Amino acid sequence: MSPDRSIIKQGIADALPLFVPAIPFAFVIGVVIVDSGVSPVVGWSSSWIIFGGAAQLTLISLLGSGAAAAAAITAALVVNARHLMYSAAMAPVFQHQPRWMRRVGPYFLIDQQFALAILRADDDPKTFRTYYLSAGLVFWSMWQITTVVGIMLGPIVPVSWSLEFAVSILFLGLIVMGIDKYPKLVAALVGAGVTYLSAGLPNRAGLLVGAFVGILVGTVAERLRE
Amino acid sequence: MTDFLAIVAVGIGTYLSRGVFILALANKKIPDSVLVALQFVAPAVLSALIVALLIDSDGNIAIGVAEVSAFVVGGAVAYKTRNHILTLITGMGVFWLVRALI
Repeated sequence: MSPDRSIIKQGIADALPLFVPAIPFAFVIGVVIVDSGVSPVVGWSSSWIIFGGAAQLTLISLLGSGAAAAAAITAALVVNARHLMYSAAMAPVFQHQPRWMRRVGPYFLIDQQFALAILRADDDPKTFRTYYLSAGLVFWSMWQITTVVGIMLGPIVPVSWSLEFAVSILFLGLIVMGIDKYPKLVAALVGAGVTYLSAGLPNRAGLLVGAFVGILVGTVAERLRE
Repeated sequence: MTDFLAIVAVGIGTYLSRGVFILALANKKIPDSVLVALQFVAPAVLSALIVALLIDSDGNIAIGVAEVSAFVVGGAVAYKTRNHILTLITGMGVFWLVRALI
């Protein structure tokens, strides 16, 4: 087998198990799209236009709950601001890549892709590129398919199941699994508390106030810890 | 149409957040203070979202025993197993169970 094919196989084999945790997100996104009143085709287009589960869930849930578009867009972008860290970490690796790859690469840079790619930072440029695109295309195609399945199952799920609550459970799981030090716990609790206190603000602006204060207090707690 | 434009706006913003350093600022470093703050984006925003999604259109929080039970059990399962599928199943299971009982 040529080295290229073995690298492609490696990329696929590494990506498939990492996709499993994304399956419930894909399913719930499908159901939320159907519930939200956003047209299914438009809702699904977020899978290839945004290609990021947490931001898609945030945007569609908020649009469906009657939030102003500007507030929903801002919230979804804030959710995805963590990608700036990935971009900065991957930038040196991508300097050895051709221009087309530097343009295409960021589109695939989801959480799981970053976790795999950063481990391959020392590969030669061609090997890295082959691996990166193989894994990225696995995540991408699986995401397109599973979100379509979610949308098709959406109308079958009775409204009385209140499956939109699943979004909250999934986000709680993301928070809990991401907390590796107490300032992150502080950021989460303050974010929730301040959002609760500013619930009366129009256009769900309380969400952004809560998020901002949470980030601020988390940063301060981190400084105090050092 | 508004929905589609909102998706496109988030799509462009997401691509830029993933690409800005790869495309343009490869030699620029993110200031350390910003890197520190970025770690707290996910926990702060996601927990704010959980609360925001439980607020109804009148600004009241729609949270009862079922939701709180689901958060407690789901949170514990997430912490113990680090498994999204199990977290979803137990969280929703408790939510439905408690709602049916009360």
